[in-house]
Formats: sequence, C-alpha cells, structure tokens
Amino acid sequence: MLLLGFLLGLAVGIGFWVWQQVQLKLYLGQLLKPLTPRSAKLILLQPQLSRNLALVKQQQQNLQQRLQTYENLLQFAPFGYLQVDEENQLLWCNEQAKEILYLQRWQPGQVRLLLELVRSYELDQIIEQTRDLQRLQVREWVFHPAFESAAAVIESKSLVLRATSLPLAKGQVGVFLENLQPLLDMTQARDRALSDLAHELRTPLTSIRLVVETLQDRIEAPLDRWINRLLQEVDRLICLVQSWLDLTQLETNPSIQLNRQSLEVRSLIASVWETLEPLAQRQQVQLTYSGPDHLWIYADKSRIYQVFLNLLDNSIKFSPPSTTILVEAKAIEGNNKQDSAIEINIIDSGVGFCEVDLPYVFERFYRGDKARSHSSVLDNSSATTTVGSGLGLAIVRQIILAHGGSIQAMNHPKTGGAWLKIEFPEVVANS
Amino acid sequence: MFEMTSVKAIIYTPNPDRPELARQIRRVESDVLRMGALVEKSFRLSHQALFDRNLTAAKELPLLDKQIDRFYKKIESDCTVIMALQSMTSKDLRCLSAFMQLVRDLERIGDYAKDIAEIAIKIFPYPPHPSLPDVALMSHHAQAMLAASLVALADLDEVGGRSIKRLDDTVDRAYEKLYQTLAHQRDVQGVIEPILLLVLVIRCLERMADHATNIGQRVAYIVTGQR
Repeated sequence: MLLLGFLLGLAVGIGFWVWQQVQLKLYLGQLLKPLTPRSAKLILLQPQLSRNLALVKQQQQNLQQRLQTYENLLQFAPFGYLQVDEENQLLWCNEQAKEILYLQRWQPGQVRLLLELVRSYELDQIIEQTRDLQRLQVREWVFHPAFESAAAVIESKSLVLRATSLPLAKGQVGVFLENLQPLLDMTQARDRALSDLAHELRTPLTSIRLVVETLQDRIEAPLDRWINRLLQEVDRLICLVQSWLDLTQLETNPSIQLNRQSLEVRSLIASVWETLEPLAQRQQVQLTYSGPDHLWIYADKSRIYQVFLNLLDNSIKFSPPSTTILVEAKAIEGNNKQDSAIEINIIDSGVGFCEVDLPYVFERFYRGDKARSHSSVLDNSSATTTVGSGLGLAIVRQIILAHGGSIQAMNHPKTGGAWLKIEFPEVVANS
Repeated sequence: MFEMTSVKAIIYTPNPDRPELARQIRRVESDVLRMGALVEKSFRLSHQALFDRNLTAAKELPLLDKQIDRFYKKIESDCTVIMALQSMTSKDLRCLSAFMQLVRDLERIGDYAKDIAEIAIKIFPYPPHPSLPDVALMSHHAQAMLAASLVALADLDEVGGRSIKRLDDTVDRAYEKLYQTLAHQRDVQGVIEPILLLVLVIRCLERMADHATNIGQRVAYIVTGQR
C-alpha cells in the first residue's frame, strides 16, 4: 500500500515535470518561430539551440573586435578621415583629420553639423556632390583655417588638401583627407634651389664664353675645330640656364610679364617655319597649314613665337623624312564671347608619344621614350630653340597657361604621330 | 554649451511634430553657415586681391557674390515658409527671425568684399602706399571678427557673440588713425586716386567689421532673447 502510494506520488510528480517540459518547449518553439520556418522540430533541437546561441554570441564578439580594430587603424592612419550622416553632421573623425581641419573643438560623441566646426565651403560641396551623385569624388583645394584673432590670421598657413569622398549607406559620406602641403613645399624648395643654382651659373658661363671667343681667333687650323665645338657646348649650356630661369619666372609671375598685342596666326607660323627651314629641308619635311586666312589672337608675340618654334622644331625632329607636318587652326564659336576660343593643332607623322609618358610630357626634364628623347646629331644645330634641353615643352605649357590657354598632348589616331592641341581664349576681332 | 542651444534642444523634444521642424531649422542653419563660409572666402579673396596684388582673386569675386546672393534669397524665403507653416516656441521663432536679419549682414559683408576687389583692380597700376601694411592689419582684424561671429553662431555662444563688440573698437581706432593719415597728407605728387581708393577701402573694412559685430549681437539675441 505504501509502495503504491509512493509510486502514485512519483507518477504525479513525473507527470508535472513532463507537462512543464512540454510547456517550456512549446514556449521556446513559439519564441523562435520567426527565426526558423521549421520551428515545430525545435522541440527536438534544444541542445543545438543553446550551442547556436553561444556561436552567435561568439560571432558578435568577433565582429565587435574587428570593428574596434578597423576603428583603431583609422584612428592612427597617416591620412585624415571623417564621416558625416545624411544631414552633414559629423559622426566621427580621426586624429589626423582633427589636426588638418583644426577640429580640436569637437569631442567624440558630440553630434554637430560639420559646417559648425569647419567652415569650408569646398569640403561641404564635395560631400553634397558625393551624396547626390552616389559616386566617389576627388577634389583638391586650398584650405584656409579661420581664426578669431588678427595675429593668428596673419600667422595661419593655408594648406593644399586633397579630399577623396565616397558614399556610404543611409546617406552617410566618408571623406579621406590628404595634406599635400609638405609635398608642395618640397617641390617649391627644389625648384627654388635649382633656380638659385641656374642664376649662379649664368655669370661664370658668360665669362667662359668670352674667353672661348677670344681664343677662337688665336688658335689655328686643325685645333680650332675643338674650340668651335667648345663654343657650341657653352652656348647650349647658357641656353639651358636661361630657359630654366625663364621658366621659373613664368611660373612665379605668370600674367605680369606679357606684352600682349593682336597677332595673326598664319603669318606667325609662316615666320617660325622660315626660321626652321634649313632644318626642315635637311629632313625633307613639309608644312601644311589649314585654317582661315585671318585668325587673330591677343598674345605676347615673342613668347608665342617661342611656343611654335619649340613645337615645330620638335615635330621636325621626330618626323620621318619626306613627311608632312599638319598645322590646323580654327575658331570655336561658343554660346557667348567667353566660351569662344581659338584652337590650333600641330600633328606630325612620327612615332608619337609613348602612352605611359603622356601625363608627364610637360614636366621639366621629363624624358620618356628613348625614340623621342634621344638627342640626335641635329641638336647642336638648333641653338635658337630649347628643344633637346628637356625644358621645351615645359616652357611651351607655361607660356600658354600665362595666356589663359591650355595645351594637350595626344597621339593622332590617323598619322600615329604626336598631336599637340592648343586652345587660346578670347577671340579678338576675328572678322 | 550644447544643451542650451535652441537648434539642438529641439531634437530631443518628444513632441512628434518637432523632428520635422528641427530638421528644417537645421537645414536653414546649414545654409546660413554655408553662406558664412562663402562670405569668409570672398573676404579672404578681396584681401589677396588688394594686398598681394592677386588679380585672379579679384576676378573670382563677382561670381562668389552671385552665389552669396542666391543663398541670401533662399534662406530668407525658407525662413518665411517655416514660420508660416509651423507653430513653434518663441525661441525657435527668435532663431529664425535672427537668421533672416543675420544673412542680410552677411550679404552686406560679401558686397563690401566685392567693392574692395574692384578697388584692387583700380589701384593696381599705382605704387603701394606706405599705409598699406596698416590697412592690411585692419583687414586682418575685420576678418578675425567675421570668423569669431561665425564661430559664435555655430556654437550659439552668447558670450562669444557679445565679445565681438570689443574687437570692433580695435578696427574703429585703426579706421580713425588711418583716416587722419590719409586725409592730412600734404603735397601729394601726381593724382590723388590711390589715396582716395584707400580711404574707400578703410571705409569698407569699417563697415564689414560693424556687420560682423551685428552678427555677434544677433547670436546673443537668439540665445537670451535680449538685445
């Protein structure tokens, strides 16, 4: 009897426990219903469930850790980074960005409009543009930090910045900032040092030339050959130094030096060709000019003369014998007076520029493809031009920039040779 | 500092109508600051044009001025629309009406910057006047005041806004001193145009500083409601 009572009690107890377990599984099943469509089977999967939960937790931790790592990496990255939300409020920025943009006022966790912290119209513009176009944007500009005292304003140094901004999810925008100022300062220091050197070289070179000239009369045949050679080389050096100084002057003081007048393009090019005629005849190279009879530009005559001299001299040198150099001039009508321009194309039939060199051909002393730059025997004969010095195209570009124009170097699709396209703004009295 | 700003405080108000209003006000505030950045830029360009003889900078200014005018008109009409369509607290209303007046001050500063650029072109052929460094310093002071007023606006900092008035005294003194120097020059060789132009420049700078002071005052008004 006692045993029966005990068993009954046990049965009731076990009954309760089973009922509770069933209830629990039902509850769990309901709870996890949205997670998996096979929730009915979950009752059987309880041990797996807890394992999965642990796994998810682990994964979350890992992700958190990775996020932390990336944030730390960005924090100490050698460039600036900042991120704004869809209302242009600053969400986060790293140490470099704080330093570049003078963001010390901002504390992490504060949500403030970026414009409240940095009043840079350019930065704001690039962020807006990135969001509108949903495309990566790159822009360089001069950033002037603003200060609230006159002394600080005077001492403040502007920075050349390059911003690369990319669209992120939910209208956010991330911006990488690079400070280009040190690079620019270095380039300037280098150019200045070279100009100083060129300046110092000019006087002794002139003296050497005088001495050589004096010697020339006194030294007799077979030896005078050497003296003549020496004179040529000295002239080349003087020419190189002078071009470097010209180039520097053009760069630092672009607009002031110009002595502008109305020039007729066709006759100008004809007179340049006359100068180059001996060279052209030796190479049997012809010039063809196509364009209106009277096309005027408003420019400095001697400078523009130098431009065409350098360009045509180049073209002749790189043209195969018995070919033609094509010069095309035309006026481009714009909607208003400011849009109209004069375009001049110079096309030769040589080997052209090497594709990889194209972006650099206007840089000082840049020598790309051996075929184009190898100084030929003809070099010595053209002391009037700066071609062969590695400065010719750089000078051409500076002169054209000083006139407010532009120059592009390409390869012509038909001839395969070099194609230089010059554009001058402001058409003057083209009628 | 952050909690007391009216523009920010709205964000945390639980009223369901508010987030929309807060967003609208913030958008106007962004435009005001954008316009401020442009005005600051044109001031800087006018300085470069006149004192560094940078004529390219002078030619950029009319374009900037047009942009500033566009912002001015846009902000004014945006403020009117918000005020007409939304009900709001007195502080928000004060904020918007102060914005409307403040953009007027900003626009005037932009105009004066353009005037200075025009003067820079006219004065270019003449040799630099001996007072030019003093004028440049005055321009730096006025620029610093504009920067200070815009920072006060961004932070809605009442104390900063009011303190600009003190900075204005420096500019006023510089104006007085320069005016005496320029006006009492005797036996001037050649034409007096460069002197005349410089007097116009210091007049412009003095007015610009005054407008910057006004902006500071209006910021204080937004925060406290007292003039």
